[in-house]
Amino acid sequence: MTEPLEFGTVDPGREPLAAAEIRQLLAACELELEAGVQVFLVCRQGGQLVACAGLEGGIVKCVAVAEAHRGGSLSLALMHELGCLALERGHSHLFLYTRPGNAARFQGCGFHPLVEVPGWATLMENTPAGIQGCVRGLRRQRREGGRIGCVVLNANPFTLGHQHLVRSAARACDWLHLFVVGEDASAVPFRDRFSLVRAGVAGIERVTLHPGSRYLISRATFPSYFIKDRCIVETCDTAVDLLLFRQHLAPALGITHRYVGTEPFCRLRWRNCPGWRSAAARSPPPKCAGCRRRATSPGWPPWCRRPPWT
Amino acid sequence: MEIVQAAMAGTLESSDLLVKVSPHDEGRLELVVSSQVMRQFGGQIRRVALETLARLEVEAGLVVIEDKGALDCAIRARIQAAVLRAARCQELDWRVLA
Repeated sequence: MTEPLEFGTVDPGREPLAAAEIRQLLAACELELEAGVQVFLVCRQGGQLVACAGLEGGIVKCVAVAEAHRGGSLSLALMHELGCLALERGHSHLFLYTRPGNAARFQGCGFHPLVEVPGWATLMENTPAGIQGCVRGLRRQRREGGRIGCVVLNANPFTLGHQHLVRSAARACDWLHLFVVGEDASAVPFRDRFSLVRAGVAGIERVTLHPGSRYLISRATFPSYFIKDRCIVETCDTAVDLLLFRQHLAPALGITHRYVGTEPFCRLRWRNCPGWRSAAARSPPPKCAGCRRRATSPGWPPWCRRPPWT
Repeated sequence: MEIVQAAMAGTLESSDLLVKVSPHDEGRLELVVSSQVMRQFGGQIRRVALETLARLEVEAGLVVIEDKGALDCAIRARIQAAVLRAARCQELDWRVLA
């Protein structure tokens, strides 16, 4: 008779022995123990670790089942327990990244695919009503027009440069949708950033201000854990975020142009543009429009021979 | 009954269902059903769910059902459990749960 499965939790920061065991299991599954994981759900049989799954806030990471225990329904039990653990910790809405080949397995555990970067990663969420609800909400705020713009700001904090970008974009468009990144990962908290932006764009007409969601530049839309090549990670991150924007958010609002400020010292923002237009999508791609700096232009950064939108 | 927190009940095992209940952003009642037997029983699952919610006097909330072929009695029980947890209900009114 087989021994029963026992579930428990491990804090990888405080329990180095258990963490080493988890690291071993993950390595056998070609995964690494992510530094950001706050808690691990572990499954043991007869004292031996047979499966694990980690949580970083509402993001599921480092899910592994030992080879000898695959083929049963262990992953379903594991993900169910993980859902309960996350709920206890205050996270009912979970996101997960996996290789596209494994997406079907997680679909059986209650996760629904959001976007796929072919060959690299699939982003999934644990509700069938997540992105649809967000899209439905946005659709109600849709404005008709030939040129509908979008700006996404972190605004940490809101500056004259941001104001210039919003004003220029609003002038060029029939309507402008302005999103403030919702994730509280910056020095200035979201509430303050949002009210600063609201005050800063108060005089500008034809602008709708939206609080950002978890579907737009959030921890959830930027993975970095199972692809070991850092360079690919960054490209993949932006690809997921932009595909989500392009396949779900932009069609909901009828966005035709996304405006970005030039940021000479941020590599990521320069990477944003190429690639996302060629990926498969249901709707025509929004165009990426640039906004020149108001003061003397610092010139294009050395790693970018020409601005990506030309 | 007022939904004040996110809660769930049930599993995704065969012949069971997972019910998730949470407060609704817009303060209305929204029911989302996905089922492996949607074409054949989707309408009936919806009807049972709405009846159960009405008996519990749930007027607002997001109720997500992921069904794996559960019977009506299981659907009722799982919804009741999820709603009672989401409403932080301490005293049960057995008449509406019958």
